[in-house]
Formats: sequence, structure tokens, C-alpha cells
Amino acid sequence: MQVSDRNRESRSIAVLALVCAVLQLALAPNVGLGNGRANFALVFSACVALQSGGRRGVVAGFLAGLFFDLSTTGPIGLMAFCLSTSSFALGLEERNRMAGDLASATAHFAVASLAVSLAYHLAMLLVGQADSLLDVLVFRTLPTAALTFVFFLPFDYYFSRVHVPSGPSLGGGHFSRRGV
Amino acid sequence: MPLSTRGRQAGPTIGNNRKGGSGRTLVACLLVSLALFTVSCRFGEEGPLAAARGAFQTVTLPVRYLGATVAAPFQGLGNIVTNLTADQATLSELRAENEELKARNVELEEAAQSAERLQGLLDLRDSNNLQSTAARIISGSGDSWGTTVTIDKGTSSGLSVGMPVTTSAGVIGQIVECGPATSTVRLVTDDSSSVSAMIQSSRAQGMLVGTVTGQLELTLIGADQSVSQGDIVVTSGLGGVFPKGLPLGEVVSVESVPGAAYLTIVVEPFAHAENYEEVLVITSLTEEQRATAEDIAAADAQDSSSTSSQGSSDGGEGEDGSGSDGQSGESGEDGSAQDDAEAGTTGE
Repeated sequence: MQVSDRNRESRSIAVLALVCAVLQLALAPNVGLGNGRANFALVFSACVALQSGGRRGVVAGFLAGLFFDLSTTGPIGLMAFCLSTSSFALGLEERNRMAGDLASATAHFAVASLAVSLAYHLAMLLVGQADSLLDVLVFRTLPTAALTFVFFLPFDYYFSRVHVPSGPSLGGGHFSRRGV
Repeated sequence: MPLSTRGRQAGPTIGNNRKGGSGRTLVACLLVSLALFTVSCRFGEEGPLAAARGAFQTVTLPVRYLGATVAAPFQGLGNIVTNLTADQATLSELRAENEELKARNVELEEAAQSAERLQGLLDLRDSNNLQSTAARIISGSGDSWGTTVTIDKGTSSGLSVGMPVTTSAGVIGQIVECGPATSTVRLVTDDSSSVSAMIQSSRAQGMLVGTVTGQLELTLIGADQSVSQGDIVVTSGLGGVFPKGLPLGEVVSVESVPGAAYLTIVVEPFAHAENYEEVLVITSLTEEQRATAEDIAAADAQDSSSTSSQGSSDGGEGEDGSGSDGQSGESGEDGSAQDDAEAGTTGE
């Protein structure tokens, strides 16, 4: 039933948003790898993008980035920009990439994590927050990307193996199957 | 196997619409992001976005508090492991140090009682209007960029950007953002932090700057100055932000590079923010806690001396002589290098 699927996906996204928001505020500041801190906004936006993609993924990325920007000391809008772009890229090819395809989602997220972290920290370098590219790459970008990747794995496993959608995904899928 | 993949790709019309829709959404989001980014960079901590951030920090305060409370028992795990794995030599060394400290403590007790009596006399004369507010650390840094902590007091408690923050062991940092109910404190170990400091024994003045590795470096100390391992580093009061004489750390290594104008000094901070829960925010300074004209003149003289000695030794390398660290923003009135750098940090 399309309506119930849509409701189910909306509920899933809402719960995921709540969990990631709490983790970003409560856990991320207290768990570090060097100077790196996990980015649960990226985890959330990637999960939504890989599952739903499309407009929903982009909006989720933008809002998650805005949440991250407000909760940190960096310029507001920078992470929103990065996550909007990454969500668009992750949701570009196909929907439900996470369902039953652990390796593919993991690989895509690893690339996205590194790219977002690099872009964010390079932008911070460009606005004059650092003196050395080496510091940005070694002490900021890599630990952040690695830690974010590690915290993504449980979500990845859950959405790939546990929370597999039972029916067709949302959006254009059912229309396409009907040949519209 | 995803159910919709094959089917969706088979329907080009809907697929294209969806992609086009998400593309338009992306463009809209990027435009909004860029606008927010521009406004944020343009207005800094005074614009409308700063108010929004302050409100957000206030709303999310309970969650941060919860995280800090849950994480608190695990903060000391590193120390426990270190203590359990200490070898016999380390324990013997610590016992000897303990004996030495006990003896030293007796001397200090005498000095403290003397100081207490003198303090009582001074209190009668001194109209000490130093104001301070106690606060509690509720969270660490939320991103990888800044080494900061969040405290549970803000503008509603009379705090504002620039106020120094200290623990019982020493200075830990300075407020860089202030919301209604919370404030963000940039720690002295942050690589964009700098504090006017001096060696307590020799009164050599310099800048204590953080590094990305978490260590502190005392810069702008001329190669001709007397600094040795174990020297205590305190705030110099130059810049008018930190009170004069607050403890900062202890010199752990001094390196003199031949031909260099300044010594390379590594300092271990006395206060580590992760080891404290309560801090004191100093909300105003007395005149006596500010650097005097003599202090400023001494700093300038030291700076000039270092520059001239460097100029004569290597033909003028480091000609600015101010030890410019790229943070100089608003210059202090006296024009000293240390003052400039500290004011620059404050202004961020």
C-alpha cells in the first residue's frame, strides 16, 4: 500500500533524524579521534539520500547541515552547502541503495565522508581559520572522515540488513512500473 | 534487492522529472546555503545568525548536558590505564617527587599564611572590583575545528565575548561566543588562541599560543632571555584581557636554534579543561591586574632587543620583530606585539 509505505518511510526518517540529532549534540563532542569529531549530520543525510534520494535527500542534507552549523562554531551555511551537494550525489543514481547492499552503501559513504570533510575543512582554510594545509588534511580532515565513517557502519548495517523495505520505494518507482 | 530500481529507470518521464525536481531543490538549497555563509562571514558574531545560533544553543542545552553527564565517568579512563601500567621506576620517581613536594608544601604554607595576612591588609586598602561568575562545563567541541568547551552561563548571567575563563589550576581560555544561556570558550590549547604571557622568574614576556597538536608554545621570547625547563608561565596582563599573574603552565622544553631571534619553548598547561567541571569567568579587571606602563615598556624594549640582536646576527631575518602570528586584528593602544596578538584573538 503506497500510503502506508510513505508513512513508514517518513516515520523512519523522523526517528533517524532524532537519533542523529541527539548523537550530534550529546555524543560527538565527547568522542574524538585526535582533532576529529564524528559528523552525525552527514550520517543522517547519507542514510536518507541512499534510501530515498531525490528531493527528499537534498532537503534532508540541507537541514542536517544547517543543524550541524548551528551546533558548532563554524560559519553557518557551509556544512549545509556540503551536505546538500553530497546528498544530491548519493541519491542521484538509484533508490534504496542501502537495502541488502551493504558494501556498495559503505563504499559510497566512505567517499562522501572524505569529500565532505575535505571540502568543509578546505573552505575553513580559505576563510582564514588555519595556516597550514598539512594541519587541515592530517589533523582535521582524516580523523573526522574516519570517525564519521566508523559511526556510519551501525546505521549502514541496520538499513541494509534489518530495516529492509517490504514494498516498493517511494517517489517515481510505482509510476514507472506502471509505465507512466 | 531494491524493488524500484529497474522499474524507475524504465520510466524516463517520471525519472527525469524526479531528477529535475531534485536538481532544482539542490540549486535552491545551495543558494540559501551560500547566502547564509556570506551573511555569517560578513557579520560574524554580531549578526542575526549569531542570535539564531544562541537560541539554538539554548534550546539544545539539555541534550548537551545529558551527553556531558553520561560521558563524565569515562573521562578518567585514560588516566586509569596510565596508572595501572606505570613501572617501578616511575613509581619510585613519583615517591621521591612526593617527598620533595611535601617539604616544599611546608615552605609554601608559611608563605601562604604570610600572604594571607598581607592580603587582609590589602583588602582594607584595595577597592577590588574584580567580578567573577562560576560556571559549569557542559560540553566539549562539537566539531573538529575548534578546541572549545561550552559552559552553562551566557549573556543572561552578565557574560560577554572576550572574558577570560580560569579554573583553580590556571587559565583555560576565553569566551568567543555568547548565547543567552550558554557560552563557548576557546581553550588556550586551540591553535588560533594566543595569550600574553611571561616567565614568572625572569619576567621575560611573550605570547603563549596553542597548536594543532594540543601543546602550547611560548613565542616571542628572545634568544638572549633566560628561560629554563620547569619555569612557570603566567599571564602578563598585556592586552587588557587576562588579569596579570594568573598561572598558565610550566616550561617543559627550551630550544635555541642558532641564528634564530626567538627561543622555541614548549609549555605544558596547568589546567586541562577535560579535568574540570567548574570554572570561573572573570567579568572585569581591576587596574592593578592590568599591565602597567612599565610592563608595556619592558615588553617593547625586550621586543626591540630581540629584533636588533637578530638583525645583527643574521642580517635582519624576521624583520617585523613582532613575532607576527597572523592573528593581529585590532591593535592595542600601546602598540606592543603581545598586545596586538591577544587583541586579535579576542576580536574573533
